Amino acid sequence: MGAWRHFPILMITVPLLGAVLLPFLGYLRESWVPHVALLPLGFSTVLGFLLLGRIPSDGYLSYHLGGWEPPHGIEIRVDYVGLFLMLAICGITLLALVFSRHYISKEVSRGRRTAYFVLFLLMSGAMLGFAATGDIFNLFVFMEILALSSYALVAITGNRNAVRAAFKYVLMGAPSSIMVLLAIGFLYSATGSLNMADLAQRIAESGYTEVLTVSYILFVIGFGVKAALFPLHMWLPDAHSIAPSPISALLSGLLVEVSAFALLRITFSVFPRGAADLIGGTADAVGVAAAAAVLYGGIMAILQKDLKMMIAYSTISHIGYIFLGLTAFTAEGLTGAVYHMLDHGLAKACLFLCAGNFIYVKGYRRIEELKGAWRQMPWTCFAFALASISVIGIPPTAGFISKWYLILGNVRGEKWLYACVLLIGSILAAVYCFRVIYYMFFQAGREGAWEDSWNDAPPSMLTPVWMLSLGTLFFGIFSYLVIPSLLKAAAFLL
Amino acid sequence: MPESKFSVVPLIAILLPWTTLVAILVFPKRAQRLRLWLCSLGSLATFGVVLSMLPSVLDGNRYTINLASVVENLEIRLYVDTLGYYFALILSFLWMLATIYSISYIDHKHNRFFAFMALCESFILGCAFSANMFTYFIFYEMMTFGSYPLIIHEETTVARRAGYKYLVYAIAAGTVLFFAIVAHYFWGDGQLGFGKYGVLSLETASRAALMTVFFTYLAGFGVKAAIMPLHGWVPDAHPAAPSPASALLSGVILKAGAFGIIRVCFNVFGVDLMRELKVNVVMAIAACITIVVASVFALTQDNLKRRLAYSSIGQVSYIILGLAMLAHDGALGGVMHLTHHALMKGCLFLCAGVILVKTGKKNISEMAGVGYQLPITMICFSVCALAMMGTPPSVGFITKWLLGSGSLEAGLPVYIVILLVSALLNAAYFLPIVYTAFFRWEGDELDEHGERHHPKLVFGKEADHKLVIPVVVLAALVIIVGIWSNVPGFPYSLVSKVAKAIFP
Repeated sequence: MGAWRHFPILMITVPLLGAVLLPFLGYLRESWVPHVALLPLGFSTVLGFLLLGRIPSDGYLSYHLGGWEPPHGIEIRVDYVGLFLMLAICGITLLALVFSRHYISKEVSRGRRTAYFVLFLLMSGAMLGFAATGDIFNLFVFMEILALSSYALVAITGNRNAVRAAFKYVLMGAPSSIMVLLAIGFLYSATGSLNMADLAQRIAESGYTEVLTVSYILFVIGFGVKAALFPLHMWLPDAHSIAPSPISALLSGLLVEVSAFALLRITFSVFPRGAADLIGGTADAVGVAAAAAVLYGGIMAILQKDLKMMIAYSTISHIGYIFLGLTAFTAEGLTGAVYHMLDHGLAKACLFLCAGNFIYVKGYRRIEELKGAWRQMPWTCFAFALASISVIGIPPTAGFISKWYLILGNVRGEKWLYACVLLIGSILAAVYCFRVIYYMFFQAGREGAWEDSWNDAPPSMLTPVWMLSLGTLFFGIFSYLVIPSLLKAAAFLL
Repeated sequence: MPESKFSVVPLIAILLPWTTLVAILVFPKRAQRLRLWLCSLGSLATFGVVLSMLPSVLDGNRYTINLASVVENLEIRLYVDTLGYYFALILSFLWMLATIYSISYIDHKHNRFFAFMALCESFILGCAFSANMFTYFIFYEMMTFGSYPLIIHEETTVARRAGYKYLVYAIAAGTVLFFAIVAHYFWGDGQLGFGKYGVLSLETASRAALMTVFFTYLAGFGVKAAIMPLHGWVPDAHPAAPSPASALLSGVILKAGAFGIIRVCFNVFGVDLMRELKVNVVMAIAACITIVVASVFALTQDNLKRRLAYSSIGQVSYIILGLAMLAHDGALGGVMHLTHHALMKGCLFLCAGVILVKTGKKNISEMAGVGYQLPITMICFSVCALAMMGTPPSVGFITKWLLGSGSLEAGLPVYIVILLVSALLNAAYFLPIVYTAFFRWEGDELDEHGERHHPKLVFGKEADHKLVIPVVVLAALVIIVGIWSNVPGFPYSLVSKVAKAIFP
C-alpha cells in the first residue's frame, strides 16, 4: 500500500484542519491570513495532481478510515469522475482564494477577514469531501458543513441585503438538508446500511419497496434545492449576486455542480440498474424541470440589468444543461454533464471574478455601466469575452465540447426535444453574453465613466481571471486528454 | 480517405496570419506604417505557402496533419485535397489583395481591423483544409464571430444594426448547423470525415433521417451562402462594412457557406445518394428562385454596394444550382464559379471602395461622370460588369457555358432559361452603372453655342497605388482566367480533377 492511497483523505482533511488553525493566526497576525490560507489548498491541489494517473478510468480507489472495513467503517471512494471533480474544486478554490486577498478589502470589514478565510477553507474542504465520500451519512455531514459555511459567507459583508439573501438561502437550504437526512434515514431503516456500495448490494438483494421510492424522491428534491434546479432555484439569484464575488464564483462554479454530482452518485452508485422503473419515472420529471430551467434561466438572464444577477440566472440555465445530461442515461450524456461541471465551473467562476474586478476598480454593478469598459480594463474585458464564449458553447472552448456531448447524449437517448432545448439554451446564452460583450467593446461609454488609459485590477486579481478563462480554452482544445477516460468511466457507471 | 502523408505545411499556412497579431503587439504605435506592411507581408507569405503546395496537389498528393483527436472519429484534422486546396488558393489570393488595399483604405482603428482580418483568414483557411465536418464547423464558427468586427468597423448606427442582424443570423445558423452535425454523427455511425464518394448511406439510416441531416445542413450553410429566404443579413452587411471587408464577405465568406454545401453534397452524401433521395430538386428550386429574385431586387437598389450585395446573393446560387444538376459539367461550372465570382465581385467591391474614397459617392444616381475622374477603376469595373453578364472572353462566360451544358446533360433545359433571364437582369442592373459613369456627366446640357462640354479623361491621378493595383490585378485575372483556365493553379486545372473523380 503506497502512500498515495492516503492522498484523498489528506486532500479533504488538510483544508479542514487549516480552517481550525487559522483563527489562531488571525489573532496574532491578521495580515498573514490570506497568504497562509493558500497553503492547505495548495497542498490538496498538489496531492490531487499526484493522484492523477493512479486511478483507472473504470475503477476506483477505496480508502478505509482508520482501517475499519466498510460497511461499518467510513469509506472514502474516489473514482475517475470524482477525482476529476476534486481537481476542478482544488483549482478553482485556489484561484478564488488568490483573488480574495485584494478583493475583500473592499467588501469585508477588517474584523471579519479571518472569518472569511476560515469559512472559505471549510467550504473547500467540505466540497472535496462531498465529491469523495463513499458513505451517505458522511455525504450529509459534508453537505451540512458546506451549507453552513456558505450561508455565513453569503452574509459576511453584513449589510442588509446580504443578510436577507443569506436568510432566504437558509430558508430553502435547511429544509432541503432535512429532506436529505430523512432520505438517508429511510434508506437506513429499509436496508440497515449507510455505505454506498453496500447499500447497492443490499437493495439489489432485497428488491424494491415504497420506502426506497420515497427516499429517492427526497434525495432528488433535497439535492435539487442545493443544485438550484428549477423550480427550486429561488435562493440562487440573490445569494449569488450579493455574496462577495469570489464566493459567488465558488457558489456558482462549484457548489451547485457538486450537489448535482452528489445526486449522480446517489443515482448510479446506490440505486443499481434494477432501479430503472423508480429512477426512470423520477428522471422524466427531472428532465422536464431541467429543460424548463434551461429556458427559464436563459430568458431571465436576458432580462437582468445587474451583471452578477445575469450571471446567476445563467447558472440556473446551465444547471439545467447538467441535469439534461444526467437524465439522458447515456455514456455521452453523462460525460457531457461531468465535463460541463468542469467547464461551467471555470467559465462561471471567471465571469463572477470579472464582475468582481469591475466592482473592485469602479464599483460598477449594472450592465449598462460597462459601456466602453475595455478602454480602461482590457484584460478583464478580454477574459470576460473568452469565458462568455465558453458559456455560449462556441468552439474551440470547453463549453463547445460539453455541449456536443450533452446533445449527442440526448440524441442517443432519443430525446430529440431536449437536444433542441439545449440548442435554444445556447442561443439564449448568446443573447445575454453578446449584449455584455457588445457594451464592453463596441459602445462608447458615458463621458467620464471610464478612464482613457489602462488601469486594470491588480495582478493578483487578473491572474486568476486569466487562468480560468485560458482554462476554458485549454480544456476545449485539449479535451482529448480527458474525454476518452470520462467516456469509459461513464460507461462503467452505467 | 485516400493515402495521405503527414505534413505541417497546412498548419503553417493557418498559423502564418497570426504573425500579424505579433507584429501589432510587438511594434510600437509609432511604427504604424511598418506594422501595416508587416500585416500585408503576413498575408503575402500565407498565399506563398498555399501556392507552394500546388505542384504536389496537382500530383495527387494529400497532406494531412492531426491537431487533436477528442475521441475516435471525432478529431480536429487538417487535410489538403484538391477541392479544399482550390478554395484555399483563391481565398488566400483575394485576402492578400484586400489586405494591401486596406492599408490605404482603412483610416481608423487599424489594429483591430488588421488583427481580425488576419484571424479570419486563418480560420477560413482552416475551413478549406479541414478533414471532417467537426473541424469544418469549429473553424467556421470562429470565422463567423471573427468577421463581426470587420462588419461593424465603421461603428455608425447603420453598421451596428447590420452587425446585429449578422449576429442574429449567424447564431441561429450555427445552432442549426450544430444540430445537423450531431444528427450526422448519430446517423452516420460516427463518420464525420469527408469521403471521396460520400460517407452516408441508406444502410445505416432511414430516408427521413438522411433528409433531416441534409436539409439542416442546407439551412445552416444556406445562411452564409445567402440562399433565399435566408439571405437577410447580406444586403445590410455589405454596404455597412468597409469595402475590402465587403469584397472578402462576398468573395470568400459567402463562399465558405457554399463550400460547406459543396462538401455536404460531394463528400458527405455523395452524388448517388443525393440522386436517390432527390434532395437536389429542392436545392435547384431554391437556387433558381434566389437567382431570379435577387437580381430583381438588385435592379431597385440605388446604393452601389447594396446592388452588388444583391448581385452576390444571386451569383452564389449559381454554385448551388450547378451542384443541384448532379451532372459533370454542372458541378464543374458551379465549383469553378466559386473562384470566378470571387474575382469578379472582389474587383467590383474594391472599385466601389475607390469611388467612395475619391468622390465620397455611395449611390449610383450620383455617379455621373465618375468614369472620367477614375478611368482605370471604372474600366476595370466595366470589365467585371460585362463578365458578370457572361460576355466572352471572361470567367463569367465559362460559368454560363458549363452550367448550360450541365443543364442539358441533366436533361433539364429549363435551367438555361433561368441562366438567360439572370444574364439579362445582370445586364439590366450593371450596364446603367457603366452608362452613368462614362456617358453622363455633371452639367450634361448644351451651352449657349449648342455644344456639350465633355470632361477630359484624367489618367495617373486616380488614387493611391495600393488601391488601384488590386483592382487592376483582379480585372486582368477575370480575362486571363477566362481564356487560359487550364494553366496549373487556375480553376479548371483543379476542379476538372474533382469533377472527373465524382462523375467518372
